[in-house]
Amino acid sequence: MADTFTKDMARNIFYGGSLFFFLLFLALSYDTNSALPERDNRQNLTETVAKGKLLWEENNCIGCHTLLGEGAYYAPELGNAYKRLGGKDGIIGFIKSRPVEGIPGRRSMPQFNFTDEELDAIAEFLKYSSGINTANWPPNIQG
Amino acid sequence: MNEKRYPPGDLAIWIFILAELLVFAIFFASYAFTRASHVELFNIHQLQLDTDIALVNTLALITSSYFVVRAVKAISVGKRSECVKWLLGAIFMGLIFLVVKSVEYAHHYSNGINLRTNLFYMFYFSLTFFHYMHVIMGVVILSVVTYKGYSGGYSAAEHTGIETGASYWHMVDLVWLILFPLVYVMR
Amino acid sequence: MKFESQKVAMPYFIAAIGLFVGQILFGLIIGLQYVVGDFLFPEIPFNVARMVHTNLLIVWLLFGFMGAAYYLVPEETETELHSPKLAILMFWVFLVAGALTILGYLLVPYAGLAQMTGNELLPTMGREFLEQPTITKIGIVIVALAFLFNIGMTVLKGRKTVVSLVLFIGLVGLAVFFLFSFYNPDNLVKDKFYWWWVVHLWVEGVWELIMGSILAFVLIKTTGVDREIIEKWLYIIIAMTLITGIVGTGHHYYWIGTPEYWQWWGSIFSALEPIPFFMMTVFAFNMVNKRRRNHPNQAAVLWALGTAVMAFLGAGVWGFMHTLAPVNYYTHGTQITAAHGHMAFYGAYVMIVLAMISYSMPLMRGRKAANSNKSQVMEMWSFWLMTISMVFITLFLTGAGILQTWLQRFTETPQPFMVVQDQVSLFYWMREIAGVFFLIGLVVYIASFFVGGEEATESKARSSV
Repeated sequence: MADTFTKDMARNIFYGGSLFFFLLFLALSYDTNSALPERDNRQNLTETVAKGKLLWEENNCIGCHTLLGEGAYYAPELGNAYKRLGGKDGIIGFIKSRPVEGIPGRRSMPQFNFTDEELDAIAEFLKYSSGINTANWPPNIQG
Repeated sequence: MNEKRYPPGDLAIWIFILAELLVFAIFFASYAFTRASHVELFNIHQLQLDTDIALVNTLALITSSYFVVRAVKAISVGKRSECVKWLLGAIFMGLIFLVVKSVEYAHHYSNGINLRTNLFYMFYFSLTFFHYMHVIMGVVILSVVTYKGYSGGYSAAEHTGIETGASYWHMVDLVWLILFPLVYVMR
Repeated sequence: MKFESQKVAMPYFIAAIGLFVGQILFGLIIGLQYVVGDFLFPEIPFNVARMVHTNLLIVWLLFGFMGAAYYLVPEETETELHSPKLAILMFWVFLVAGALTILGYLLVPYAGLAQMTGNELLPTMGREFLEQPTITKIGIVIVALAFLFNIGMTVLKGRKTVVSLVLFIGLVGLAVFFLFSFYNPDNLVKDKFYWWWVVHLWVEGVWELIMGSILAFVLIKTTGVDREIIEKWLYIIIAMTLITGIVGTGHHYYWIGTPEYWQWWGSIFSALEPIPFFMMTVFAFNMVNKRRRNHPNQAAVLWALGTAVMAFLGAGVWGFMHTLAPVNYYTHGTQITAAHGHMAFYGAYVMIVLAMISYSMPLMRGRKAANSNKSQVMEMWSFWLMTISMVFITLFLTGAGILQTWLQRFTETPQPFMVVQDQVSLFYWMREIAGVFFLIGLVVYIASFFVGGEEATESKARSSV
């Protein structure tokens, strides 16, 4: 048994194989980084959008929703909310109208009491997100 | 002791080789499957590839494999320095492959062609670059084995390391022998 | 227990189990909120309860990994831990920081917590699993560095074994990749790209090294099989892990704005990710079959075999089911993901920590090798209760996921998210019931620690296989 299969060879395959694939992954990541400018809608990444992203994070929207399919599965996908809710007005209107005590018996979204400026930033962020080239995902408007 | 044992070399490398062949097989199958629905696209862009340069690469790899065979034969009768010479020759041929392939890639990039250009080129670059990295790995392995051989680490009785490296190199060659006709030639 | 300092593992394991209970209680809360939507609203909205559930999971597993390291490294390296005092100090720092963070989540609105902790100076809050305030994250890094220093010095001092080396590499990897949690660009695509360098390269990367090395340790101890054989296979398993898992990260890059070639690279390599888990299963059963002794601690053997099987099913099989891009296009972000996530985490990481606790706790409490038969039987009951419950949780979520995928994604007339959620609610009720049974299993597990009796011996041992 000892001659057919040595621990040293197994060790070498581990180190060599891991390094190999790590380098390959870095090469692909480098290429991806070069590809992003034409895909990630950065031309629309304004100060307002950045502010909207910060609000998105500081209110933990991802704790109930998904964004580009990632997050929690309690509430709808918001990557295409800009299209589904009929633009910024639809988004702002929805967030503004959440009842403080929730809707009896149903999954409820908190009322965050955002200012108009904050609502605009969040809507801008979702608009920017909807412009990212996600290879045609989601399959339909429902997200 | 190392009697005539199959497969040659350490068994661990064969697990690895089988895993590698599995990945390449899946890639090749994906290529073939995708090509079936994009025949026009694949045919058009395939013509843009330089088959002459690829032929040079094919000859380089076949030659290097031959050199590796001679190296194993040499050490199996204890001819250490001859073995080292053959291994160096194989490494040299491997380096030729790498240089030629790099020139080919540089040419593509200067024409603005890369991994994202279209589906055909996605496969072309993925397959050839994945293989290219294996050639690099193979050259590294052969170099390590050559150095150990040069320092007297192998004998007629015990040269599992050389057989292991040789097996890996032959796999790299075999993959190219499938890749070359599949991507460059078959229409 | 050969070295006194191994005992520092005990508080880590106790804390781990305590936090585990918290995790499950909050799991039941959010499970209920799925179907009784305004349960505890607005005092504890779903997102808050969820972050408590997930963060507790991660923290208790970290306590478990650290306890496992503190126990097995001195034994492997045949030398006392470099600084037991540092280990105990870090224990309290981590526990208090963790408790404060959880309290922060519960007592203060999240946006308020962000403001209080100065998130705007270096915004790292608000991403899934990385909800911790930036200062907590810095605290985690400090605790991790101290831990790595302690373990590293011990390894340097003593005998270097493959088991301790692989564990150490895994733990270093864990710390290094956690650093990416500090990188949070405004660019959403880049944000997501590097987020996975923490999450994927953790659970489908370096954490598998941690799991593999602990499993190898437990198998060496309980089967008596030659270390050389076990360590050789450990190398092959972790080689396959990284060979498939590193490029396998691409299966998270299908739909987040990154180029389409990831659909190919990610599908091919992640399809192979079950291989190391399959090998672990064969490995575990083989070693137990080839055993040279009937170790008195049959409960530990059961956990060891169980973790390999459940990890293969949860991470390997369920992972494979939705990893190919053409399938994932429809299932991305559905209950299929939740189903896979639960069984994968339980099988791979919960169970390996419980296996280690099962093996080492009796020894730390003064037994020669194992608890009494009565205690072990109770522990084995808890194994089956929790494991079978998890299987049902996963099956119900899979059912919900398939129906959701059909109704919301695949059909010609897709229905809105909330409408679909109503239609799958029966699955959620059944999942909650399974969750209650899981909690019962956990209670039985804890009770087993308090069952005394005469220590089980080699000849009288009940074999679980």
